[in-house]
Amino acid sequence: MRTLFLALCLAAGAAAADPKVVLVITADASDFVHCAGGTIATMVERGAAAHLIRVTNDEKDSWRLSPEETARRVREEVEQAARALGIEKVHHLGYRAGELASVSPTELRDRIAFYVRLLKPDVMFLPNPYAEYVEVLDRYYTGSAAEEARRAASLANYQPPFAQVGLEPHFVPELYHYAAPVDPRRREPESTATFVPQPVTRDIAAAFDRKLRAALALRTINYSLAMRIRQRLEETGRRLPLLDTVDDAAVAKLVEINLRRLAAIGAEKTAFQLAEEFHYAGLDYQIPQKYRGASQ
Amino acid sequence: MRFPALLIPLAAAILAAGPLPLKDLPPGKVMMVIQPHHDDHTTDYGMGGLIAKFTDAGYESYFVRASNDEKDGAHGYGHNDLINERESKAAIAILGMRDLYSLSWRNDYMDPIPLQELRAQLIFLIRKHRPDVVLTHDPWGHYDRNPDHRKVARAMGDAYWLAGLENVHPEHFELGVRPHRVPYLFYKARVDYGKGHEPNVAVELSESQVRRKMRAYSTHRNVYASPAMARAVREQLAKEGLELPGLRGLTDEAAAVEMEEWHMDWISRKRGRENGVRYAEVYYFVDEFDHLPGLKEYLRQHTVKK
Repeated sequence: MRTLFLALCLAAGAAAADPKVVLVITADASDFVHCAGGTIATMVERGAAAHLIRVTNDEKDSWRLSPEETARRVREEVEQAARALGIEKVHHLGYRAGELASVSPTELRDRIAFYVRLLKPDVMFLPNPYAEYVEVLDRYYTGSAAEEARRAASLANYQPPFAQVGLEPHFVPELYHYAAPVDPRRREPESTATFVPQPVTRDIAAAFDRKLRAALALRTINYSLAMRIRQRLEETGRRLPLLDTVDDAAVAKLVEINLRRLAAIGAEKTAFQLAEEFHYAGLDYQIPQKYRGASQ
Repeated sequence: MRFPALLIPLAAAILAAGPLPLKDLPPGKVMMVIQPHHDDHTTDYGMGGLIAKFTDAGYESYFVRASNDEKDGAHGYGHNDLINERESKAAIAILGMRDLYSLSWRNDYMDPIPLQELRAQLIFLIRKHRPDVVLTHDPWGHYDRNPDHRKVARAMGDAYWLAGLENVHPEHFELGVRPHRVPYLFYKARVDYGKGHEPNVAVELSESQVRRKMRAYSTHRNVYASPAMARAVREQLAKEGLELPGLRGLTDEAAAVEMEEWHMDWISRKRGRENGVRYAEVYYFVDEFDHLPGLKEYLRQHTVKK
């Protein structure tokens, strides 16, 4: 068992230095773009093959469109967004948005674990289920299931039939937990320096334009956001001059303002201009520096 | 008197943290309190002072009680339910609230109930009354092992914003209600300091608001007037040759109520002292555009009056 663990750790070290396959897991169409799009695009630029698992169908978030029409449009738009980041393929799990509380966590875990074994990623991006005050709870359920899937995919006694059809256990060595920057404690280090994902920031200046293109592709959600802001302001006797006319140009400007500010928040207290924040578990998560030094 | 060594780091931490910003009431007309139990809005960790402040400011206020509270009290499930509902109505009247909704889920057995069903009830009530402000349990609070607290907090964590989407429970619109997202939230948790729930605002209270909170709290006699607790404390003091003069001549039940009121007064003064005012409560406040961290500054700077 110890040998297996060390072998996994060494494999982790190799993968951390040279990522080949990236698996991105998102609850909905926009979260992975806004929180991790720049870092994903950077990895693709460096040669990684990226795949996206989209857990829900986003049917709820639109402006004056039916759930069916919303789901149809957003499915096309998230494919465009993924292409803008260089993601090769989107795997749509198709759960109804806002309803993950009633989905079996084990079912969701095993569906994600299937793709982990199929694609054998070196790096996994997942919604951080420990990030607080994130209002879309689908992100919590997705993050929890993805964490469990990463473990389940590595153990032979989970879903033995997978192995019988050639899907051997696979251990993902690097994890990026992402979340919108609403948790006031998100930058605080975890309680130990090892074995727990720690806050990191990644420079996305070179990839920002691709991230912006990806975000702009999400037209249905972006229009909904603009209309809801305008509605809220109107109901309270206010207006935002940018949204006096909600057309493509105004929505695009709003999206760019949003993304630039998010990237600036990510870069706060770093040397970067535009960045993304994560809780990252890499090689140190598996084996402390001290022991790695001794083995070299 | 020696200062206990254990309190030194605690006091240092509180001083280092400094006072919280004092929060004024957000703009609006309707406020809703959504809590698991009949007494959660008035307990020491509760929100009775802020409720009184809202009603003093003219807010139309409603209390939603999710459970039937059948376990609180010594009269059997059915009677407890009736007594607690009656006391809850008396308490909200003291605080100036307009009405009570009892959803009557089975007390302390809310873990296995369907989240979406509870959520749908809350979404409907939000759409019906269109609150500008909701006071509720913090979905991100730690160390609260009460299953009803967790369930209601999680349901509210979804309901307050899903209520604003047309594609969520469109059947409600047959009744003439419209989508409504709750713009302002005050979160409270049972353990209200530490990593589990770090408040970000303090709300200053008047003497009258604290007194009404205390009266509303002690109205819940079925659960708080515990003669056994008062008797045990008095017996322990008597063994040491001591007594509490303020309790002299009171029955054990009346003594229990009096002691609870002392605690309420103490906690209101303590929160006030920590935040530079006489009386206060502390909350995690969520502002109208906090869910848009990339846009809220822009909206604050560029929004103008119509």
